[in-house]
Amino acid sequence: MYHITDQQIDFILNDIRRNGVEIEDLQLNLLDHLCCIIENELEENGDFEQFYFQTIKKFYKKELREIEEETQSLLTYKNYYVMKKVMIISGAISAGLLSLGIFFKFMHWPGAAMGIVLGISILSFVFLPLMFVLKSKEKKEVRDKVLIALGTLSAITISLAILFKVMHWPGANMMAVSALLMMLFLFLPIYFFNGIRNPESKLNTIVSSVLILAGCGLFLTLVRTPTGSRKMYVELTRNYIANEELLQYEKGFQLPVNNSSKFSQNYNDGKRIDLLCEELKRFIVKTETGVEKLDMDFESKETWLSDDRILNLIEEDQTASTKWSELKNAINEYNKLNAQTSVDGEKPLQINAFILNFKDCKTTEALNSLIQIQQFVLQNEKIIASIR
Amino acid sequence: MQKRTIHKNPMYICVRYLIQEPMIYSSELIKGTLKTIILKLLKDNKRMYGYEITQRVKELTNGKIQLTEGALYPSLHALEADGILTTESEYNGKRIRKYYSLSKQGKTLTNEKISEFADFMNTMKFLLDIKTDVA
Repeated sequence: MYHITDQQIDFILNDIRRNGVEIEDLQLNLLDHLCCIIENELEENGDFEQFYFQTIKKFYKKELREIEEETQSLLTYKNYYVMKKVMIISGAISAGLLSLGIFFKFMHWPGAAMGIVLGISILSFVFLPLMFVLKSKEKKEVRDKVLIALGTLSAITISLAILFKVMHWPGANMMAVSALLMMLFLFLPIYFFNGIRNPESKLNTIVSSVLILAGCGLFLTLVRTPTGSRKMYVELTRNYIANEELLQYEKGFQLPVNNSSKFSQNYNDGKRIDLLCEELKRFIVKTETGVEKLDMDFESKETWLSDDRILNLIEEDQTASTKWSELKNAINEYNKLNAQTSVDGEKPLQINAFILNFKDCKTTEALNSLIQIQQFVLQNEKIIASIR
Repeated sequence: MQKRTIHKNPMYICVRYLIQEPMIYSSELIKGTLKTIILKLLKDNKRMYGYEITQRVKELTNGKIQLTEGALYPSLHALEADGILTTESEYNGKRIRKYYSLSKQGKTLTNEKISEFADFMNTMKFLLDIKTDVA
């Protein structure tokens, strides 16, 4: 029986490690196994190294690494099936939720947003990452893995960008642009030139590339161009300035109201509403364009209004936010008071201020609605004043 | 490549059978039964280590079944990860010997596997029309 020294044990362990066996348990198992064989089969004065290399050759077909790989694949075998199942189920759930969300959205039923958000979230955070892991496991080359990673990443970013866009969360445009850039200028060239070289995958590559290009093209067709945006902003701003001009012109014909009149409460409340509207308008114009007041020469100064959401402006400014709710309350009071008021059988108008509950509107819509509120107040002043 | 096709050649196998060389079963045959073999051995011997398993199998089958290290250890590790086997380590200087034994779950699985294989053998006998040896 051969006696193995500590140095020889180290030698075997190092050789096993060097040849790609990384699982420590497996290293130790193989070490003990080899030692057993050597002790039992090598004569006392035999050649250790020669016998060792002869023995270890019987452990594999090409490389010792095979044992490590086989172990790894058996250990992940179970996970693989679970992952595949989760991928299929999550894919079905997200597709179902998304379709349901869209259906609800068109039917204007509650819960639409939840369906869409959950559907896209599951798609981007469960289905697509799992698909990446499983697909990249099938590929051996690093280039193929990188390709799948790039494709998955841009797919996730595009779906999240669309989610952010419909939910009016910030950063949607930037995400969409970066996803498209990545898809068109990084993924597509690598994919195309990688696949076209192989005669087997040539046709598939060309078809998929055309589909990707067409998909991106269709996506971009729906996107407003910068020139288009500018044109629209200019028109919206012009519309607002015209409304503002009309309002100010109307105000010029204001009739004096006697403070002791029995309608002075209506009158004063109206004035307060008018003042709040003016302040809110000034705040919106200031934050949007940087100037206090817009004139017809705004185009040359490039100080037009955009289609930002009023929510983004109001949320960030405490005073504006307070004024916004103050105005809402003031109009409620005013409407209540006017409902009880009768001027020779004629009732003052009720202000329709639904826009104040709808913070998701665009700034230009908000500005025009504020002007409309002021017009209501003005008309009511006329009703009160003319009869007095 | 050339060599391998020769080994798979039925002619070669027949010739070997005729000259009464001890038959070693092909790895494909062993692959499907490896788990069952390991489980049965552990059932009869309480606890065993890797080398011991290969030696015992060789001994019991007169060398007809030779488990390769490349198949045995991955299976042992997978069975351990599945909770079918439990392990104890014994330290001997720089060497660590890992003894495998059946867990509670493993004991049930062993019986299932053996009866499954018995059933399989009967089916194969019928399917391949094998005449049972008459004593």
